[in-house]
Amino acid sequence: MVKSDNNIFECNNITVSFGSVHALQNVSVAFERGKIHAVVGQNGAGKTTFARVVAGLIQPSTGKILVNNKQMLGGDVKQARAAGVELVHQSFALPPSFTVAEAMQFGASNGKIYSRRGLEKFWQKHLDNLGVNVKSKQKIKDLPVETLQAVEIARALISDAKFLILDEPTAVLSPETTDKLFERVRQLKQSGVTIILVLHKLKEVLKIADTVTVLRGGKLVQSPISCENIDVKKLSAMIIGENASQNLANSNRAAPSVAIKPDTALDIKQLSTIKDVEGAALTDVNLTIAAGEIVGVAGIEGNGQRTLVRAIADMVGIKSGEIYLNDQNMTQMSHLERRSNGLRIIPFERNVEGLSLSSPLWENWSIRNYLQRPIFSLIKPKEDRKACNTNLKKWNVHYSNVDQLAGSLSGGNAQKVILSREMDDEAKLIIAAQPTRGLDIGATDFVWKSLRKARDNGCGILFISSDLDELFDISDRVIVFLSGQLVGEFMPPFDIKKIGAAMIEADL
Amino acid sequence: MNMQFITIFRALLFILLALALCSVIFVIAGFSAVELFESIIDGAFLRNGAMKHALRWAAPLFITSIGVIISFRAGYFNIGAQGQFYIGAIFAAFTAEWLNGAPAFVVIPACFIAGATGGALWALWPGLLRLKSGADEVITTLMGNFLASLILIYVTGGPLKDPSGSGQQASSRPLDEAYRLGNSYELSPTIIMIALSLGLFMWVIANRTTFGVVSGLAGRNATMVEWQGTKLLRVGLASFLISGGLAGIAGTVELMGPNGRLAAGFLPAHGFTAILIALVANLSIAGAAIAALFFGGLASAALYIPVMSGLPASAIEIINAAIALFITAKSKFLDKLFSLGRAKWKK
Repeated sequence: MVKSDNNIFECNNITVSFGSVHALQNVSVAFERGKIHAVVGQNGAGKTTFARVVAGLIQPSTGKILVNNKQMLGGDVKQARAAGVELVHQSFALPPSFTVAEAMQFGASNGKIYSRRGLEKFWQKHLDNLGVNVKSKQKIKDLPVETLQAVEIARALISDAKFLILDEPTAVLSPETTDKLFERVRQLKQSGVTIILVLHKLKEVLKIADTVTVLRGGKLVQSPISCENIDVKKLSAMIIGENASQNLANSNRAAPSVAIKPDTALDIKQLSTIKDVEGAALTDVNLTIAAGEIVGVAGIEGNGQRTLVRAIADMVGIKSGEIYLNDQNMTQMSHLERRSNGLRIIPFERNVEGLSLSSPLWENWSIRNYLQRPIFSLIKPKEDRKACNTNLKKWNVHYSNVDQLAGSLSGGNAQKVILSREMDDEAKLIIAAQPTRGLDIGATDFVWKSLRKARDNGCGILFISSDLDELFDISDRVIVFLSGQLVGEFMPPFDIKKIGAAMIEADL
Repeated sequence: MNMQFITIFRALLFILLALALCSVIFVIAGFSAVELFESIIDGAFLRNGAMKHALRWAAPLFITSIGVIISFRAGYFNIGAQGQFYIGAIFAAFTAEWLNGAPAFVVIPACFIAGATGGALWALWPGLLRLKSGADEVITTLMGNFLASLILIYVTGGPLKDPSGSGQQASSRPLDEAYRLGNSYELSPTIIMIALSLGLFMWVIANRTTFGVVSGLAGRNATMVEWQGTKLLRVGLASFLISGGLAGIAGTVELMGPNGRLAAGFLPAHGFTAILIALVANLSIAGAAIAALFFGGLASAALYIPVMSGLPASAIEIINAAIALFITAKSKFLDKLFSLGRAKWKK
């Protein structure tokens, strides 16, 4: 890399590893001063890790970082800040009960004594200068999300930041407020601040950025690419990877081995939900899964996949529409009743939603049966332990005894415990949400085989994954979610470019 | 290492640490620590009839503490055992007053049902507030304690006031002898039987029913239980009701046994000692039986110490508080020490 005084930031051969996983591998990037640089990539491509390395939050295991041609230690926030680097996090870190002035002071505190009025006046001036329309007396919790972000950015600019990193700033914003944010970013650029934007949507990238940097699987694909010479099509091919689409064309994907039975496992009609606490609301979703079919759900995380699962599980309020399981209307049924009719869920977060880590294996395993009985019915722990033992053995779980705490198992084994609980013979519809996340190749393969086997036994399977290669390998059909809507349905052979484009709202 | 062994070792270690801290305090205050501990051990367990007294105090403490265990296991920190204990006793006292004259085999069961109902009701509203609107049960049950104490003062000075009472402390009319389960001199086998059978019954509930397993799982990870399809309302409410009901039964036992009447502010630390027992026992019902004996012994020693060695009875309260301090303050060092015993099976 050529050294240039014009570069505010350079890094050479950065590698960051978490255990055996390389989050970043030999990444070398240089950013020119006074421009807006976008960083893009799929989930898990290493964008956030990269942002955190730049901000000095993570120490890379190898590599060199230069800010203003000055060598940084890496992993030292204070030093990075002193050099003018500030990071605005993906999720906001402002204390809700503070006033805006207090929150701002909290970041800048230097031990002096202030009066409340003095503080408010001081920070009001700072906010006014940046054009943030907020009263410094207001409580953080009363602010709408876009104002919150503006405050968060203003806070990052307290210390004369010359280099600002915004990690997925548009993820929480509506289209109108996104425009406002971009306006603000352009103003900052004019006042001489260099900005890195970590972004998902390619249209936004092309709208705002001067250059774009593409990461894939922790490796640098290309950087910097001038935004004038690229279009959405080329960019999405870079993000997803040409190789992936070629591999796929060559792989002889097994067609569904049994003829798809006429009966449906899941039928969702015109489903709209209220806004869920943890994701986009669904609008007018129509989805049918036949018995013996695997339907893959693609989409950038947070676009309604989680809400879909929670709606099928009766965990989020339904505004309108109907849900049928095995041709039976389940819209008014509770989660438990749906389960007794054959619904099974492998939840997103294995260690929180799937298992109680501080409880014994047999309790974790038996709970599904226990919940189908009256609340005070007698149990025979000895027999249930035995049944658990037999089943876990059948699923090849490595453990020493069923009284062992679930938290003592490795990720793959813990997932197998969940599979053995959720994939019994009575299962009719299995929802597998990110079932291979964080698993090694062996365990991943096991999960795939199990899902295929369940499919061949006539189960309908809804398979949610952020790994497109995996989705294409497993699914008989792929649907794409964007902002709570089903925006595309694809049959094999899957065209990765089309699906990728649908995920990021690009018109091809 | 065996988990149960670790639990017992841990409890003993905390108690020893607490006693060590107390001896320092006592010595600084100018008492002889050795003499004090001698008289405590003597008063609690060795003296003639001491075991009987220890049992007399242990029985109601045990009943209340298993209630505390049920709610703590389910992840709800119902610290309102004291209030539920009072309201249970008040309900029982009203029932006895109302049925006065009826045969004992009618009145006694009726009083127990009323006592359990009263205690359960006093746990119901914090439970509903918690489960329906998320109000912190620690705050509401604590407030419930103060309310219950004030209601007790009102009841003993108003509706149930003993007209012949001449003492300074307001109290209700004494219960008819026929309705008493025991008195303050003798140990009542009936009360011991009640405590033991409740202990056994609740052990079955906690270890041999779906409720026991599900509430235990919910206490450790409520999210997982929700993803398994249960709304926590029923399990949660059941835990609150059982917890309060048992404290109410303990209140009834005190009323119909040793006390024989309601007195304003009787046994003011009962509920808190029960919480301490639950924690020392690490939420095990069998463990609570042993811990209840220990704290029952301390309670009986409290009456004995001033007589024997001229030392203040409040020494016992200091010891209780010190044990609470060590049990609740989680030491990183100790946790590390104990976690050594928990082997990992990573493969």
